[in-house]
Formats: sequence, structure tokens, C-alpha cells
Amino acid sequence: MNPLDPDARGKILRIVDISGGENVRRRLFAMGFQPGDRVESGPRGILGGPVVLKNLRTGVAMAVGRGIARKIVVAVDA
Amino acid sequence: MREPARREPVALFIGQPNCGKSTLFNALAGHKVQSTNFPGSTVQHAHSRVAVGGKTLNIIDLPGAYSLSPSDPAEKVALTHLFEEEADVLVNVVDASILGRSLELTLELLETGRPMVVALNMLDLAEKKGVVVDRAKLEAALGVPVISTVATHGRGVGELAEAALEAVESGRRPSAERRWSPAVEARIAGLAEALPADFPVVFNPRFTAIRMIESGASPESGFSVEFCPELGAELAKTRAALEAERGIPAYEVLAAERHHQAQKIFEETSAVRRRTKRSPADRLDDALMHPVLGYVVLAGVFLTFFFVIFKAGAPLESLFLRPLESAKAAVAARWGESLWAFLADGLLQGVGGGVAIVLPYFVPLLFLMAVLEDAGYLARAGFLLDTFMHRLGLHGKSVSPFVLGFGCNVPAITATRILESRRDRLLTSLLIPFIPCSARTTIILALVAFYLGPVWAMGFYVANLVLLAGLSRLLSIFLPADTPGLILEIPALRVPSPRLIARKVLLQLRAFVKLAWPLLIGGSVVLSVLQYLGWDRSLNVVLGPLVAGLLGLPRELGVTLVFGFLRKELSLVMMLQALGTTYQELPRVLSTDQMVVFTVFVSLFIPCLSTFVTLWKESGRRAAFLSAGLSVAVALVLGYLVRVIV
Repeated sequence: MNPLDPDARGKILRIVDISGGENVRRRLFAMGFQPGDRVESGPRGILGGPVVLKNLRTGVAMAVGRGIARKIVVAVDA
Repeated sequence: MREPARREPVALFIGQPNCGKSTLFNALAGHKVQSTNFPGSTVQHAHSRVAVGGKTLNIIDLPGAYSLSPSDPAEKVALTHLFEEEADVLVNVVDASILGRSLELTLELLETGRPMVVALNMLDLAEKKGVVVDRAKLEAALGVPVISTVATHGRGVGELAEAALEAVESGRRPSAERRWSPAVEARIAGLAEALPADFPVVFNPRFTAIRMIESGASPESGFSVEFCPELGAELAKTRAALEAERGIPAYEVLAAERHHQAQKIFEETSAVRRRTKRSPADRLDDALMHPVLGYVVLAGVFLTFFFVIFKAGAPLESLFLRPLESAKAAVAARWGESLWAFLADGLLQGVGGGVAIVLPYFVPLLFLMAVLEDAGYLARAGFLLDTFMHRLGLHGKSVSPFVLGFGCNVPAITATRILESRRDRLLTSLLIPFIPCSARTTIILALVAFYLGPVWAMGFYVANLVLLAGLSRLLSIFLPADTPGLILEIPALRVPSPRLIARKVLLQLRAFVKLAWPLLIGGSVVLSVLQYLGWDRSLNVVLGPLVAGLLGLPRELGVTLVFGFLRKELSLVMMLQALGTTYQELPRVLSTDQMVVFTVFVSLFIPCLSTFVTLWKESGRRAAFLSAGLSVAVALVLGYLVRVIV
């Protein structure tokens, strides 16, 4: 699933993989988001707007557009 | 600068965006000897000389960079300086409230082997978040001095300067501790050894090898293979080996290891007290990003924003204009119709335009922008507006350059450097000249609001925004989006500090004055000379068909429109001059329809000279001419349409 999945709303997720191209992956890495990190799925923009992900490991929150959010593969963290 | 730099040590301030680096720099520059600043303190570097216990330290503040692999031009500025400036000491500012992420850059910087000091900043914010960092432990883990600072209160600033100077004098370098896993370490060492003796090594062979593995350049075409084909082959081999071992691209192997090292150091040196209840700040944040409430707040913020700017701007403007008018009268009385009178008048107009028309609106706007930025609200606005910007072919990061554009287009275009993709920068820069800046606002207020009523003026603004949206969509057809979208850090909400805001406004103002005033004053003087020579009348004849025929305006206004290029805000004064009337008498010469046509045309037609020059500098000649052509076309079409419809 990805962070936009209805089941992911407001949950604590674990990043399994980032399936985007090198450009996207590098930018997400630079923001401190990498596979293995636990993230909290936060507010969502209306009308297909971005979603806020907060990295629980580093404490960093970022808004990612839908296009990028779809490329983040997550699983609900137990 | 190279020579004195040997005697006066240079400290380079480097850190991730939003870490409070510039604040710390400014607090330190408070003890300054002298200070020079370059446009847009956040996108270019600032330089200052600081007195520390009888000695002088040169400090350079670089734009924030998340990592040493740059993704936007502001980051590139930072890295170019890091690599080219012979820094005697690096001052790495880290945000203690997000220490784990901040340390990733720190680990990259440690590899440079330069003397280094870490400023552990934002401790107050960290405490609020329940993060307590053990400074001594962190110092031991990193092997470089760590100084606790709270930049907003100026705490630890003196100590930091002393530590930086101490690091220069002792020349102590970070310990060459090998932090990578043995397998990765072996690959790095192997590539470092393979570097030919005459290879232009940056800092040291290890650092160079790491940069080569991590850089986006392919080993087949990059610098290394051009330098020597064997090295290109060695790099390809190293990357392939790392990929084979871990099953992910080589740069990710390094990024992942660094990420985990940083987390490990963070976890070993900090105690985190996780709150179970949401704090008041969290709840406020929920409201600010709420799908309904968030937009209500946003609309309120922007309405207040413009209300305050105009409420503060208008009286200031008339306050400043009054002495200008008497000075102009004095000039006329003294020199009559001589060339001197024209020159002096042009000079006064130029200075007056810069001081009396732009500043009264621009300063309150800068102030409010700084408040919103410092509070962390601009990022939330970017989040809320992203979905709409997306439909226009842009994304949420373009919001703040656009808002700045309402004050003055020049800094707005400079601010597009925060955007990662060239395409987004170009599109945003091409759209900014269509935002009514303070100079054009004065025309809208004077003609539309005064003679037709405030509702018309509001309508004018709304129409302008609609136009902006339409143009953006249109341009997006020719400039297809090349980035998948928004990645925007949402910094923690903070109470802005008045002192810092005042400082920020001052810095931006100085940069604006340095860039725009010479152009404003120069353009104005040129204009006066042309009038003295009587060339304005010939222009009127040439432009007659366009002005009178197409737009239905008095022929005399031709020159006014053309010179709007030199001085947008002069258009109103020039119009009165050209028509030989006064502001109060204007309705006798010009119908309200004509006023609307004139306002539409003047607002949209051609970016002013300062904007044009900035566009040229930032995006190249083609962008500048494209923007000019686009605005002339749009202004003519809309001017004509308005004439026909109204």
C-alpha cells in the first residue's frame, strides 16, 4: 500500500520501499526518509492534495504531493 | 579576499534548511566589524567580519542544504562555496529538535577532514518536543567541539565564535574514524587509492571517492572518465560491486548507511520523552492544516495581509510624497525648463519612486512575510494550496515567491531559487510579472479604486488572479511538468521573534535597494532626457494607431505606456503630465472606461526594467524576452477586449 491508501489514514506506517526514479529517491533520502523508517500519516490536502508524513525516527514532517506519495510503499506498522 | 583570508580566518556556516543557521549568523554578526549582504539572504551567501576577543573572524553564511548532493540552485550555491572557499573552519549548525536528520549532513561534512565546530541549535524547541540531547556525549561521538546555542535568544553565540577561532588556531581536524561498514569502507578506500596523483582532489582522496560514488554523474560520461578512462572504469567497478553486495544502487548504499549512523548517534546521545497527549501546538497545527478550517484561516490570513499592507502603505506613501512634491516645485522655480531642471526632476522622480511608492507597500509586506515564514506558516500555506497550484501546472512551493511578487517582482523572481526544477522556476518567473506589484497597485488604487470604487479594484485583483491561472495552464502546455511533485518540509510552529524579523526585513530591504534603486533612478533620468529632447512626441506619433486605434486612449498616452518599462509607478504621474491635467481634473479628460483600459494595459504590459534585468540574470536572456513578449501580447489582447466589452 502507499500513504494515500484509505487504510493508511492516521496510522503509523513503515516505509518498505521507495519505488520512484533516482531523482525522487535522492530527494526523499535528503529529507531523511528511507526504507525501514516509521512514519505517521498526518493531514491530507483536499481534492487530491498532498499528504503530510512525519518521520517518527527523526521527528521531521514533510508534505508530499500525490505523485510522490504513490511511489512510497508502506505497510501498517504493528 | 584570498590573501587577507590567510591572516583573518574564514568560518563557513553550513546547515540544513530551517536549522536557524541564518539567525545564528545574524546574532553573531551583531558583534560585527562590517557586513556585506547579497540579495535574498536565504538563497545567496552573506559575509561578515566579527570581532572575537580582539581577533577577527570572517564568517560566511551559506544557503541551507539538506545534503552534499544538491537538488536546487540555492543548495548548489552552498556547495560551490564549500568546495571553493578555503574555509579554515566549518561551523555546522544542527537543529536539535530533529537531530537524527541533521546529523546526516554533519557526517558528510566530517568526511571533509576540515576543522569543524557543531552548533547544537534550537535546544528550546527540542525541549518542547521532549528531546534532551547530551552535549558531552554528542561531542564524544562526533569527535569535534559541540556548542549549545539558542540562536533566537543569542545564547551560546559568543562561545561558538570562540570555539571556531580555537579550532582554527589549534588546526585540530576531526578524527579519521571510519564509520562505514567494513565492506563499504574497503570499496571507498579502493577508489581513493585508484585516484591518479594529479587528480583534482577535493579536501582529501576519501571524500573525493565518496562524492564520486554518490554523484549523479555516470561513470561513462562524467568528469572522472574524461580525466582518465581507467578511473571511469574503476568508478563503474566500485559502484557495481556495492550494488551487487546490497542489491540497491551504490549511492543508496551510502545514503542508507549514513542515515542509520546518524540515527544511532542520535539515539545514543539523546533521551526522548514521547508525549501521549497532543500538545496545544499540535492541536493548532491540526487546525491550520484542516480540510475546512485550514482554508478559512488561510483566507483570513491573506485578507488581513493585504488589508494591513494597504492600510499601512497609503498614509506612508502620501507622507513621503509631500516633501518630494515641494522639492520638485523648488527645482522648477530654480531652473525653469533647462536640461538641469529635467535631470534634477528625473533624479527626484527616481528617488521618490523608490522611496515613496515602493517602500511604503513593500516594507509592510516584507515584514508580514517574515512573520509568516518565521512562524512556519508559509509551509502550511504551501501544503493547503498545493492542490490548486497543481492544477495550474505548479506546486505548493511556488506560493511564497508569488506572494512576495505583490510587493515587488524583483525579489519574487530571486526567491524562485528554492524550486528544484528548472521548469518550475521558469514558469513561476514568467508568471510573477503578471502579479500586480506595489507600483502597479498604486495605479489600481488611484484610478480604479478612487474613480470607480473599491469593489471594482477588488474585481480587478480577482480578474488578475484568474488571468494568472489561465496563463499558467496555457504555458504548462508548452512546458510540460517534469517533476513528480511536492516535497516540502513542514517545520515546527514557532512564535516569531520581533528582533529577528526586524533583522530579516532590513537585510532584504538592503538587497532590494541595492539592486532596484540604481535601475529606478537611472531609468527615470533617461526618461527626463528623452523628454527634454522632445523624443516623447515622436513616439506618440509612431504608437498612435496602437494607442488610439486599438485601445481607444488619447494619443498622448503613447509615451507613458512605453516608458512604463522604465518606471511602472511613474505611469500615473506621466499620464497626468502627458494629458496636461491634474489628478482631480482627470475625469474631464479620460472616461472611466478609458481609465480601466489604461489600468489593465499598464498593469500587464511588459515587466519593468528591474524585473527584466533580474529575469535575465536568473533565467537567461530568452526567458526575459519571452516574458516581455508575453506581457505585451496579453496586455494588448486584454486591453482591446476590455475596451470592446466595457
